[in-house]
Amino acid sequence: MRTIVADAIVLRTYRYAEADRIVVFLTEHQGKKRGVAKNATKSRRRFGGALEPFTRGRVTYVEREGRELVRLDRIEPVTSPMQSSAGRVDGDAARALGYTSYFAELVDEWAPDAMANERLYRLAASVGDAMSRAGSAESLARYFEFWLLRLEGVYPALSACARCGRTLVDGAVLDPGDWQFACARCGHGALTVSRDAFGWLCRAAAETPAAITDDGASVEVMRELEVVHARLIAMHLERDVRSARVVRELRP
Amino acid sequence: MAFADPLAGLVAALQRLPGIGAKSAQRLAFHLLKTPREDVDALCAAMRSVKDRVTYCSTCSNITDADPCGYCTDGSRDGRIICVVEQPENVWAVERTRGFRGRYHVLMGAIAPLQGVGPDDLKIKGLLTRVGAGSVEEIIVATNPTVEGEATALYLARLLKPLGVKVSRIAMGVPVGSDLDYTDEFTMSKAMEGRRDM
Repeated sequence: MRTIVADAIVLRTYRYAEADRIVVFLTEHQGKKRGVAKNATKSRRRFGGALEPFTRGRVTYVEREGRELVRLDRIEPVTSPMQSSAGRVDGDAARALGYTSYFAELVDEWAPDAMANERLYRLAASVGDAMSRAGSAESLARYFEFWLLRLEGVYPALSACARCGRTLVDGAVLDPGDWQFACARCGHGALTVSRDAFGWLCRAAAETPAAITDDGASVEVMRELEVVHARLIAMHLERDVRSARVVRELRP
Repeated sequence: MAFADPLAGLVAALQRLPGIGAKSAQRLAFHLLKTPREDVDALCAAMRSVKDRVTYCSTCSNITDADPCGYCTDGSRDGRIICVVEQPENVWAVERTRGFRGRYHVLMGAIAPLQGVGPDDLKIKGLLTRVGAGSVEEIIVATNPTVEGEATALYLARLLKPLGVKVSRIAMGVPVGSDLDYTDEFTMSKAMEGRRDM
């Protein structure tokens, strides 16, 4: 039996027995863990709001040999998803809160159990921090999707057409045959990425989340990339992300 | 030795209730076995009556045995103020204060992206219809102080404010009788945000 203290992000919780909750959380160095939070359903005294999805904090848990489930003793929150609504108008604030659940679901889907993925942790932490500053939640969501897919090695190359090797400057077509970006001459299919959207992707590859949320990208560009990213995510997960539909419903 | 079939069936049925484990189910089953027949009949009748007679109010979605419910038909209540809650049991929580004399609207949930529950799955249209009828002046959003409850409250505020009603949110912060030393920083910051003049 050993006690571990680690930085972690809460991804989701669900009921376990009458009074407890199972908490799924991503640690920076030990990967994704599942822990029992004793009495967390019945009483909010010990964990308070720290079990909300996408809360980042310092967790204390106890691992026992041969047991997959750990015992979650404490979470000292550093950032809360509730902060993401601050400084935003009502509708945008609701959507920002919705996006924190969306990010949590995506990380939960992608992070393997008990296998460290420090880059994914750092992405989630930095996007969570950026969400608590007023800025475009849509841009941040596209940034998160872009980097998540990139870190997992499944985002198509932005540098050149996958067919003819020509540099992509005037936008691209995402070919559903091999899920690679091709130039307008070589590519087939309806998933086009305009010049502006392609430019945004190139900026996202080099910028921090905080910088990208303030760059004033148009709604059209964000919608274009949302469709492309949703297709890429659905292709790799082999299903649609549940929270994505809800976030779309939260739009004005 | 196994229980007799009827007793085993009762234990299995009781075990499906929330909070009832195998031991508690056995204890309840043996208690019912020893209980006089008329008491067991009364219990069965009460359970059947709940299923037969309890329904949802077509105005506020609260649970009721008469439609519209008592809160919606009570003439002494102030129809200009509606308190919006997530679940029917939240109505009891507000009623216990004995300080609210307006009417209610039950959303039957909250926006929960991880469960796939969106605004279209909640009783929001009925609320907008009530506000659109014109006599409502204030909506008090009393959803839970969670991400889901807060997202629901903000979403409702966006829909309701253009209709010309005052939209308020219940205060969040330090519980009565607690100690500031034991309050986490997010609760404390909410309490500071929601401070009032004295």
